[in-house]
Amino acid sequence: MKDNPTSSNPLKRLNEQVGDRYAQMLSRVHVNRGSGRMMLLVVVAFAVFAALNPRVFLNPLNLQNIAIASPEIGVIAIAMMLAMLTGGIDLSLVSIANLSAVTISTLYTSVAAGDPARAEQLMPVLVLIGLAVGLVGGAINGLLISRVGITPILATLGTMQIYNGIAVAWTGGSTLYGSPDSLTAIGHATVGGVPMLFIVFVVIAIAVGVLVTRTPLGLKIQLQGANPVAARYSGINSRRVLMSTYVVAGVLGGVAGILFIARNPTASADYGASYVLLVIVIAVLGGTNPAGGFATVFGVVLATLTLQIVASGFTAVRLSSYQYAMAQGVILILVMVADQVTWRRRRIARRPAGGTAAVKA
Amino acid sequence: MSAPAAPALAAIQRLRGPNNEGVLALILLGLVGVMSIASPAFFTLATMFAIVRSSIVPLIFALGVLIVVISGGIDVSFAAIAIFAAYTSVRLAGAGMDLGLVGVFVVALALGAVLGLVNGAVIARFRLPTLIVTLGTQGIFKGALLTYVGSRYIADLPASMASISTTNVVQISSGGRGAYLHVMAVPAVLLCFAVAWMLRRTMFGRGIYAIGGDAEAARRAGFRVVRTQMWIYVLVGMMAAVGGMIYMIMGRSANPQDLVGGELDIIAAVVLGGASIFGGRGSVLGTALGVLLIQVIDNSLILAGVPSAWQRTAVGLLLIIGVGVQAVAAKRSVRQVRANDEEGVAA
Repeated sequence: MKDNPTSSNPLKRLNEQVGDRYAQMLSRVHVNRGSGRMMLLVVVAFAVFAALNPRVFLNPLNLQNIAIASPEIGVIAIAMMLAMLTGGIDLSLVSIANLSAVTISTLYTSVAAGDPARAEQLMPVLVLIGLAVGLVGGAINGLLISRVGITPILATLGTMQIYNGIAVAWTGGSTLYGSPDSLTAIGHATVGGVPMLFIVFVVIAIAVGVLVTRTPLGLKIQLQGANPVAARYSGINSRRVLMSTYVVAGVLGGVAGILFIARNPTASADYGASYVLLVIVIAVLGGTNPAGGFATVFGVVLATLTLQIVASGFTAVRLSSYQYAMAQGVILILVMVADQVTWRRRRIARRPAGGTAAVKA
Repeated sequence: MSAPAAPALAAIQRLRGPNNEGVLALILLGLVGVMSIASPAFFTLATMFAIVRSSIVPLIFALGVLIVVISGGIDVSFAAIAIFAAYTSVRLAGAGMDLGLVGVFVVALALGAVLGLVNGAVIARFRLPTLIVTLGTQGIFKGALLTYVGSRYIADLPASMASISTTNVVQISSGGRGAYLHVMAVPAVLLCFAVAWMLRRTMFGRGIYAIGGDAEAARRAGFRVVRTQMWIYVLVGMMAAVGGMIYMIMGRSANPQDLVGGELDIIAAVVLGGASIFGGRGSVLGTALGVLLIQVIDNSLILAGVPSAWQRTAVGLLLIIGVGVQAVAAKRSVRQVRANDEEGVAA
């Protein structure tokens, strides 16, 4: 009965709650969550490793490696952030990315077998096809979640297996070699010392940032995640919002697949198996609320950089990748705990003040 | 709804089970039937025992996941706990601390309990999302194992464990082909009964369902939510340790790189078995059927000559269909309840 307002009074209260929550959300996004703290973490991580082993860590080659390795993970993490923004999750992103990379590689190889020059010319078409694979994958996710009504985590768990299975069956489990040379060239190109891939990453991050904060769709996505019931009563078509979210996430997955193959002219069904969980870590670290409603692209970008800096810093000071896995877990849990503690303290502080504190916030 | 149909409907409802166990059993039987007709090699004791054998470890993990899922959480760290506890025990036993089979198991159980307690403490104390916490601890446990315990593949288990590796509880040779049921099926089945009893008959078990249904309501009803949650994760850690030990005993080796990475498949089996990912619903019978169904499908695909690469796709499709049907049914029943409410108001 609670979600069935009969008079205007509960509606009004609901409206106030939404307004309240939105104000809260804005304050948290701008002040507390993500960006500010992540800035600090990036700087601290960088400073620590630069101090520990400056010769290796500050080597331009090492810095470039960080910038080349970040984009593919970062793009998937941004897609994950979008899904989490609606209160969902998308476990199928890495599978979509691999499927897209495998598709590009297979098509290229089959065309190149007959006419290598033609295959080279087809590069833009192949890239579009890679994006289309992501679009279709995302649309299937969206349909299952918004129309059929399957919980996002289960729907994408299932499609993850399906997409991955298709890629495994298609490649026979082996690694494919071959991609347009021009794509590889882009992957290795640098502009003023900054790798092209990183520039692509920044452009995509800005585009998604604009989508989330400056467009009606972005606002709807945020409201849908913050309070689905309130979103429904404010006339938001949640089906369409969810559908668009997962389609965009799928396309970003396709982009990640293109980045995979641009960085390395190979494609395999099992590339980046550890990314599934890693991008969740990044998204949450970047200030994304896994329950929905709060996230910043900037925070996610910074979180991606932090983890890449830590990963490469660990190598620079000769710590193993296993220790990096531990560090990942420790960072994740510490940040979550710190978040929870400050969040609770705020709630306690707010309680005696009542409504006025909410207005102030 | 006509009156005479009501008892029949009720009977069907009962057969169907609270979490669609009946439907699952029907699908399983149907699949076995079809496969038996299609391939004479399928309907043999040897195949059956092979399926049971391959189900043992997933089943034990699935029971642990089931408990967490019923309580409204999700656990992706159980595989890391399993491999940590089992590999460390094997290492200790190999380093001259071989305390016999029971001793090794006790060490593994203790390790599993401690690691589970870490999960439980963080989750219950700080009320953090279980998926995120267990993701973090998964990395920590596996990283700690490979860094501080060892990353070496151990090909020979300590004597106490090795002796039981080749023990079969049932051996039948017919027509030159032997059918063997591994002894480790016994603890798996016992564990099934124990968990089922605990979930249905103990206050602790009912508390798990209550927390999964609504944590706040459970608290007001007098369940100690924090303490129950802690115990859930300790228990699940211990069950994971048992699973890890049995995995190593049956595989006759200890590889610290194993198991981790297969978590989502186990979760898929549990969900397929009718457990609700939102908590409060799920049964041991359903979970066991879910695990068996996936193993039978894997086995049938091999016999049917389908490349093993398609297995993942098949499991994914099955999961989508299974959950999709449930979601659509749930939507319909909500609509029905609403319609009934309106009727009631009208009357």
